[in-house]
Amino acid sequence: MTRYVARRLAFAAFLVIAVSSASLVLARLAPGDFVSQSGSTQVSRAVLDQERARFGLDKSIAAQYRDWLAAAVRFDFGYSMQYGRPVRDLIPERAANTAMLAVTALVLATLIGLPLGVITGSRSGGALPGVIRAASVVLLSMPPLLTSLFLVFVAARTGWLPISGMRSATVPAGGALLDLLRHLVVPAAAIGLPLAAMLERLQSQAMREVIDEPFVLATLARGVPRSRIVWRGALKAALRPVASVYGLIIGTLLSGSFAVEVITAWLGLGSLMLQALRTRDIYLVAGCAGAGALFLACGTLVSDLALAAVDPRAREMPAEQA
Amino acid sequence: MGQLLTRHTRRLAFSVAIALICSGLGAACRSNTSSESAAPAAATRAIPRGGELLVSVRSEPRSFNRHASRDSTTNLVSNLTQSRLVVVNQVTQAVEPSLAERWTTADEGRRVTMTLRRDVVFSDGHPFTADDVLFSFEAAYDEKGGSLLAEAVEAGGKKLQVAVTDPYTVVITFPAPFAPGIRILDNLPIFPRHHLDAALKAGTIAKAWGLDTPPSEIVGLGPFVVSQYVPGQRIVFSRNPHYFAKAPDGGALPYLDRLVMEIIPDQSAKLLRLESGQLDMMTSEVSPDAYAPLKRAADEGRVTLLDLGVSRNADGLWFNLKPGALGSDPRAAWLQRDELRLAISMAVDRKVFADTVFLGAGVPVYGPETPANKNWYWSGQPRTPHDPAAAKTLLASIGLTDRGDGVLKDARSQPVRFTLLTQKGRPNLERAAAVIRDELKKIGVTVDVVALDSGAVINAFLTARYDAVYFNADKTDLDPGTNPDYWFSSGSAHVWNLEEKTPATEWERRIDELMTRQIASPDPAERKRLYDEVQKIFSEHLPMIYFVAPRIYVAHSTRVTNLTPAEYRPQLLWRPATVAVIH
Amino acid sequence: MTRGLGLALVTLALLSATAAPVAAPHAVDAHFAGLLNAPPTVPHVADAAGAWHAPFIYRWQLANQLEQRYDEDRSTRVPLAWFSGGHVVRSSDEAAAPLLLLGADSYGRDVFTRLLFGARTSLGLAVTAALAAMLVGTLLGGVAGFAGGVLDDVLMRAADFVMVLPAMYVALALRAVLPLVLTAPQVFALLAAIFAVVGAPFVARGVRAIVRSERRLDYAVAAQALGASDARLLVRHLLPSARGFIAVQITLLIPAFIIAEATLSYVGLGFPDPVASWGTMLQEASGNIRVFADFPWLLSPAAAMFLVVLGVNLVLQNSRPERLRDDRGAGVKSVL
Repeated sequence: MTRYVARRLAFAAFLVIAVSSASLVLARLAPGDFVSQSGSTQVSRAVLDQERARFGLDKSIAAQYRDWLAAAVRFDFGYSMQYGRPVRDLIPERAANTAMLAVTALVLATLIGLPLGVITGSRSGGALPGVIRAASVVLLSMPPLLTSLFLVFVAARTGWLPISGMRSATVPAGGALLDLLRHLVVPAAAIGLPLAAMLERLQSQAMREVIDEPFVLATLARGVPRSRIVWRGALKAALRPVASVYGLIIGTLLSGSFAVEVITAWLGLGSLMLQALRTRDIYLVAGCAGAGALFLACGTLVSDLALAAVDPRAREMPAEQA
Repeated sequence: MGQLLTRHTRRLAFSVAIALICSGLGAACRSNTSSESAAPAAATRAIPRGGELLVSVRSEPRSFNRHASRDSTTNLVSNLTQSRLVVVNQVTQAVEPSLAERWTTADEGRRVTMTLRRDVVFSDGHPFTADDVLFSFEAAYDEKGGSLLAEAVEAGGKKLQVAVTDPYTVVITFPAPFAPGIRILDNLPIFPRHHLDAALKAGTIAKAWGLDTPPSEIVGLGPFVVSQYVPGQRIVFSRNPHYFAKAPDGGALPYLDRLVMEIIPDQSAKLLRLESGQLDMMTSEVSPDAYAPLKRAADEGRVTLLDLGVSRNADGLWFNLKPGALGSDPRAAWLQRDELRLAISMAVDRKVFADTVFLGAGVPVYGPETPANKNWYWSGQPRTPHDPAAAKTLLASIGLTDRGDGVLKDARSQPVRFTLLTQKGRPNLERAAAVIRDELKKIGVTVDVVALDSGAVINAFLTARYDAVYFNADKTDLDPGTNPDYWFSSGSAHVWNLEEKTPATEWERRIDELMTRQIASPDPAERKRLYDEVQKIFSEHLPMIYFVAPRIYVAHSTRVTNLTPAEYRPQLLWRPATVAVIH
Repeated sequence: MTRGLGLALVTLALLSATAAPVAAPHAVDAHFAGLLNAPPTVPHVADAAGAWHAPFIYRWQLANQLEQRYDEDRSTRVPLAWFSGGHVVRSSDEAAAPLLLLGADSYGRDVFTRLLFGARTSLGLAVTAALAAMLVGTLLGGVAGFAGGVLDDVLMRAADFVMVLPAMYVALALRAVLPLVLTAPQVFALLAAIFAVVGAPFVARGVRAIVRSERRLDYAVAAQALGASDARLLVRHLLPSARGFIAVQITLLIPAFIIAEATLSYVGLGFPDPVASWGTMLQEASGNIRVFADFPWLLSPAAAMFLVVLGVNLVLQNSRPERLRDDRGAGVKSVL
């Protein structure tokens, strides 16, 4: 087992380097660069070229990549051209914000999605499963842009919640933590509700299959109450496919959803990546891609480990492979 | 057995429904009650002092240093924290004293002796002298420093000579007669030598005062100082107690205690905040889509909506006129011809354009100046009639004919077709490109609109790899002499053919000559005549086709007062020291 | 029955998509200059006085251009024209009073027409891409889960790499390399390929997990003992157990792809105008702050997507896994 985990971690490291490198090169290939973005058209070519030299953008792609790689192995990921700060400092800050959002959204999604999925999966007819299913499909059909816009709109109309941002300019009565939590509601809901819908669908399907298993009928015949069967026995068995995607979800969430972050002005990794892409801030682009890759790689690792924990049949036993 | 779970879930559903209904009722009640009374008090003569103003910007500044970047947020930050020698009053267009108290001109305006204010100190208490003025020029002109402001304070492409005769007198000598004169000094923030001298000597002046600078190190002569910067979220400015300007009643300026600049990238979130009172003003104009909800809010007394008249700038369509840029492409025979552009100007119905892009709130324009530029707009500007038939005839004269199937073809029977680039994510540009495409289809010209992100578009025309672009080429100052980059064929903003070594066409050579005379001439009437002539030549060759200039609307909350709105970004904050809030 | 409802919805979607040129009252690029963001023209059968007529509509008159407010012109009835000019139904006065069943968008184009034509583009693309993703993903996941060992590792790590590479960067770089002007079929093929590649890893992971655990079950061991070849075991016995998962994945991928098409159009890899697609229609609608309060008809693509995905959902989820070919499944369900 430890060898397996070590192998996966090594691969994760490789993945991070590969993705960062690919992103750096891709960003260089994209038309335009940071300098051409910065000025209005009223700046002469000579000055622009000078700026390019200052940022090291006049080197060839190969030379720039080589220099970046050489620095990266010493954990120096370059400077952001826009912010003037090391990429190494910028990313953890934003990643922490995204993590906050991700965890909240995931908790919300789990608390809503899984139980609802159990309900719709364990009953064949009735109004309630139909309504839940319809609500799930609505949430799945809406682009995240629209969902977050709608929630911001509702927040504005009702006036209960701040419309965007992470913190208020002046700390209100109740303290900074409460202020942060209030700002967290809209973006967490924008991410969490569609996620809940997805979990509900997956869980529902898994439940449906488990209910058909013979052991369920047997347990029922023994006189165990229905609710216990559904909520204890069948649920545990049905967690398998959900567990297999859980880590994946975590990984995706941690790389940030840029649509939600931009609209709600939540300073996370997603909006940083989009901003970096727009301004062609290539070292930051590489850094963000690498961070995203790291989270996803860890996410899949967690996912596979969770799967092994939940379903012993899926445990890796390399010696037995035929 | 089955009933147990059903009852559970039913109860759950019931309570959820109750909760939803209650929240819905609450929402309805909340939106019915008017927000906190924002009706302004009856006009009082005394302007309220103190209070906090909440403004929004679309993106983070790239620097706190105007030499490093010219994006709009950096400009605004510079406006708030730095001062200049003189200020152009954007309403009257007159040059007003700022750090320079008065000045005299000699030698036909080529030598300007400026007397500086005395007893002025920087925000850190250090005294301001003429040496700081000299330093500021040095910072702009330093070749190693890489300042983006260098060309903005040059006259005819040459540096000004700056001499200090005593601690409060500066003598500025223009290398050649320069009619706009000291107007260009509105572009130069006066920097403290005692803080940035080291950076200048190291050749890193443009790197100074980047975003990682602690706020206390950003020292200036402006009405505000940076007190807090939360990256990505907001910049907080507090009043500079050492600000030199005084209110008409002798009291200190600025009126505001604090100015909070929130970074809100999303337009919708910005509008919702403004409507609900969580924001006092946006630093950009109201888009046509947002007009109706703001009008509703204005009718209900929650915001004030201002009509600032016609814009000074309009977006335009231009073709790649660089000789040889199309290589062996057979379309080169007609794609760079004047007749094509003249035909396009006739074919596009400007009323449909104004209706679709600006919802009717726009004025047709036919040249580089709009009627908003009262001093320089050529009243004889010919208004190209909307005449698709004449357009087709004109195109036939260069060999592009319709053989009856409604599609124009050239001499080799290839359809007349070109690609129009524009920027993705800007509705004004995208809609305009769509209108152009639809209108030109009616005369048989096929246009492929490709919307790319801004980096790609700018790159395309910087590298001259495009057919046509629809974009903006905004000017900042209204005096055409301050835009040599656009007018001169060697200019870096001569967008249809950047930085020509020699003028590629006779008319461009003529414009170069006229503009040279225009910039140097001391006689305002002569300058106007020359510039009218330039506009006439422009309209005969249309290197850039202008269609409609929008009307500019801005909105602010009703607690803001004592504003001097002008059609100049930022429309409500170009003079920040005198803005006040009722609190 | 729910399955019937699902089939009905899917059939309706397919029908509208194929019959779009006939069912839609206008051409896909027709636009009406004075009717930007106009509300739907509701067909009436009774006029103000209460008298009955053949279905008709009222004309919209612009009340305030900047506010985009319209008033109904109740003075004249504009009857509908049926089966004329190659369309099922149109207004009898198309120039002045066009039939706008779902209103008009910000360019004055009929939303209903664009919805029908958009069904072709979006559904066609999403379904093609989802099927392709399913095929590739199932194959890769099945092989990985079955073989195990090095092959499993290699395939899953390759899947990880694909999942992790930000699609936006790839799209932006692709945009730089490809010619500026792409025809609609070219864009279709390109997007379908991109989506299939991007979607396959998710399917692969889930299928792999299922196959791995199923592989050790009695029936699989038995089949192998009876001499079934690897391929037969995989395809006939193991993969069908992943059916349910795959079905759910398809219902998740289809809306995701429709939306992703709009996101990619943001970096310039979208369908050229005037091709309509649900994703871009929603994207345009999201840009307008007034959409929720004043122009809700612009959100009809979301409603359409909801109906389609619901239909697919209902159809797929009501088919049982056939592993236990007896009635026990149904019996348990009915008891519970």
